[in-house]
Amino acid sequence: MKVWALAAMLVMLAACGGGGGGSSTTTTPTPTPVVTAAANTAVITVDAGPPALATGPNGFISDNLAFVSVTLCAPGGSNCQTIDHVQVDTGSVGLRIEQSVLNPSLLAALPTQGDASGAQVGECYQYVDGYAFGSVRDADFQIGGEKVAGMPLQVIGDTGAFSTVPSSCSSSGGANLNTVTALGANGVIGLGVTQTDCGAACTVAGGSGAAIYYDCPASGCGQVIAQAASTTAPFQQLPNPIAAMGVDNNGLIITLPAVSASGQASATGKIFFGIGTQSNNALGSATVLATTDETARDGSGLITATYMGQSLPDSFLDSGSNLYLFVDSTIPTCTGANFTGYYCPSAPIQISPTILAENGGAVSAAFQLNNAQTLLSLSNTSVLPGVGANPTAQNLMNAYPSSFDFGLPFFYGRSIYTAIEGRTAGGLAGPFFAY
Amino acid sequence: MQAEAPETRRHRPLAGLGLAITLAFSVTPCSSWAGLGQPFESVKTDRARMSARMASIAMATHTVSALTLANGGVVKEFSNRSGMVFAVSWRGPGRPDLQQLLGGGFDTLQADNVDRGGRRMRAPLKVDRSDLVVHTGGHPGAFWGVAYLPQQTPSGFSGADLGSP
Repeated sequence: MKVWALAAMLVMLAACGGGGGGSSTTTTPTPTPVVTAAANTAVITVDAGPPALATGPNGFISDNLAFVSVTLCAPGGSNCQTIDHVQVDTGSVGLRIEQSVLNPSLLAALPTQGDASGAQVGECYQYVDGYAFGSVRDADFQIGGEKVAGMPLQVIGDTGAFSTVPSSCSSSGGANLNTVTALGANGVIGLGVTQTDCGAACTVAGGSGAAIYYDCPASGCGQVIAQAASTTAPFQQLPNPIAAMGVDNNGLIITLPAVSASGQASATGKIFFGIGTQSNNALGSATVLATTDETARDGSGLITATYMGQSLPDSFLDSGSNLYLFVDSTIPTCTGANFTGYYCPSAPIQISPTILAENGGAVSAAFQLNNAQTLLSLSNTSVLPGVGANPTAQNLMNAYPSSFDFGLPFFYGRSIYTAIEGRTAGGLAGPFFAY
Repeated sequence: MQAEAPETRRHRPLAGLGLAITLAFSVTPCSSWAGLGQPFESVKTDRARMSARMASIAMATHTVSALTLANGGVVKEFSNRSGMVFAVSWRGPGRPDLQQLLGGGFDTLQADNVDRGGRRMRAPLKVDRSDLVVHTGGHPGAFWGVAYLPQQTPSGFSGADLGSP
């Protein structure tokens, strides 16, 4: 046995740091004679993304991103704009829109949230590949037939007091996602398992989680401030838009069709808001997965996958990941310069993880893994099933994986339920995933 | 468009209420980054900057210092017998200050994760070099990662010793 010694260190205080285009314009809806869509649904599309991405010498198309349109209005319901190509992300929480896609008149009409010192409120929000920084503004929000009045959203890349990213934001690393091109979308709508985007971590002065809220006087954003976690007015933190809805507010179902193994240009599916709240969103026979809540060491929304005999307790289902991320050193990785770390099996192979169910059993999460380089080299093909990568550096000594990220490709051909923490969905307490 | 805050802004006094707090916290100088590649003593600086609780455990080949952050996140710094931090790991609802934790390695992290053009994936940040390895993951609300200096890592130390971050 090794000798263990414990040493307590003295408290010592110190401080460093501190710190478009592509949207559609408002039009009068054209009456259509077809059957009216249910109020609790919205169409989602996996396609090439906002046209702005494809422009210029470095233009590109989206890969495995699911998009939805949302409508924002100035408080009171006037001056509306429908914004297309907002990415649907069950791995994050809160609505975030690039400033460049907002009509200037609407932007001017969206009030910025104020803090206790009378200054404006700014926010930094971390993603796995970078960070979004901007203002917190209120808007009347609508998606499908669901509405939330005066809902806070983040305007990414906002100007004025928000024009400089605090170092305490950028020091978390990765890209500044302050343009449509950098984000790969006109915005992100985070519909994950928590009610707000930071929860208790941000309700104390100086506190932060994935979100960091700032006091932003005209001179710029610096001091980190506390923001209450509320899903009703008066809001402070960005709410999960579903949790803030008056009805159908306990979660969602994402349904996408099965797609060709050789990829396709686009795919169209549907979001159902609410679980077990309407005739069209019953939990039915879906298998509920054992899912962590806020009392867990690593927070809400993690599931336990088992792969190659190894238990992976930090796994998750995430419509916002555009590929599978898992460690399997037996699968060949790609050799192309831009494909380092992606899996390139010479022929499609079956990957057969299981996921721990709420009832203690194991449910299959099997899928076909395809050659990422082949699929990603196709033009006009944004729906790429079975694309995966190894998130560890290739020479990581005795890699010690604990996570299997089931990204959007896992959603093809399935209906996947995401239930919100603190809400009851289909007779069960959230949070949970099911399919 | 936004600009990155230049390094010199780090000590810019904050307006209003922030000013008093900045002065009170500026007693300890912050002239250099701590963390990876720095002396073990720097761990204490990190602890203070993060307002964290800290516990250190001496192992056969190294010392592990675990810093528990106010939001429940945990940062671990691994020191070798020469007293140098050769590895760090983190997990928590937000990513910690990687510029602080990785020191000079932060610039490498940024350089190795810039857009190279062409098709792209929303993949986690990573570095795969002979003198620096960084592996990250998770999603907003549950981030994790490890970083180490392969050339400073004690013999007998394995990936399993890093633990599940």
